[in-house]
Amino acid sequence: MGFDPHEPEQRGQLRDALTAADITVGELWLRYFSMTGSAGEYEVQAYLQGLISLPVIQRDLLALACNEIIAEKPPLHAPCADQMKGMGPIGPS
Amino acid sequence: MTQLPLDDLTAAVARIRGLLLTEEKVDRAVALLAQAIKESLPGSPGAGVSLMDAAGKRTSSAATDSLVEKLDAAQYELGEGPCLTAWATGTVVIIEDLQTDTRWPRWQSAVASLPVRSVVSAPLVVGKEALGAFKIYSALPGQYDESTGRALSLFAETAATLLAHIQGTEAPLRMAESLKASLASRDTVNRACGMLMERQGISHERALQQLIQNARVSGATLVEVSEQLATRVPPAGS
Repeated sequence: MGFDPHEPEQRGQLRDALTAADITVGELWLRYFSMTGSAGEYEVQAYLQGLISLPVIQRDLLALACNEIIAEKPPLHAPCADQMKGMGPIGPS
Repeated sequence: MTQLPLDDLTAAVARIRGLLLTEEKVDRAVALLAQAIKESLPGSPGAGVSLMDAAGKRTSSAATDSLVEKLDAAQYELGEGPCLTAWATGTVVIIEDLQTDTRWPRWQSAVASLPVRSVVSAPLVVGKEALGAFKIYSALPGQYDESTGRALSLFAETAATLLAHIQGTEAPLRMAESLKASLASRDTVNRACGMLMERQGISHERALQQLIQNARVSGATLVEVSEQLATRVPPAGS
């Protein structure tokens, strides 16, 4: 297979996205696994650290998995004072 | 050809087994905690720990002796008592003498025949979540005061943090659900790949690439794209 010249860049940007969106390797792997990804969680970890190379299709699946997780996360939002009243005290209803 | 490596399945199975163990681990942690409370306090009072869900229903509990069990059972049956109050308010509740304390009249009369006079109950709170409460009982009145309460609430904080890590009455369910879901979605994607391979006479990898491409163009997820493809009647021509 050999090293694809784009692989380090693709891997680096995936890693940046994971860090920025606070996604763990376990989370990423489970999604990737559900998308028929065939590398193990260990291998994914090793790929992210640049220790092993993955075929293009597996790399693309990882990228897609990462993007899907990001798309599902609620966007960050800072509330104004009048949006705070929904937050009640703790305890039973 | 891409085959599911053994370590994937091992990881999946390990996760499932970890989940099944969780319930037992909570019960054990709760029992150890009750024992630790009893042994670390002067006079070795009876101690009990209860974990509750968001609705105040007991999910697991442990007691160092049957007396504590009786006191607790009465509390949760009647829906009132010092532990429920401690849990609901997030504060330490002190009963100096059960015979003269009238805050929980039904519970008081239910346990009047038992040899219990002093009670302290402290909530187990992590962040904003009240996990439950624990209490100690003594047969003599006036055994516990504010300083006992403060000491217990410090201890409760540590214990609650520990329990929060182990507790998983909801987490295992959620996790098992997500595993089931990922296996199902794996099937869906593979099925769609198979259909593309058959329809277009292409390799598995080419089929998967095509699905990825479709997902990227349409902005849908890979599973959604696969589902659409699998439910659509193939066009007669192309």
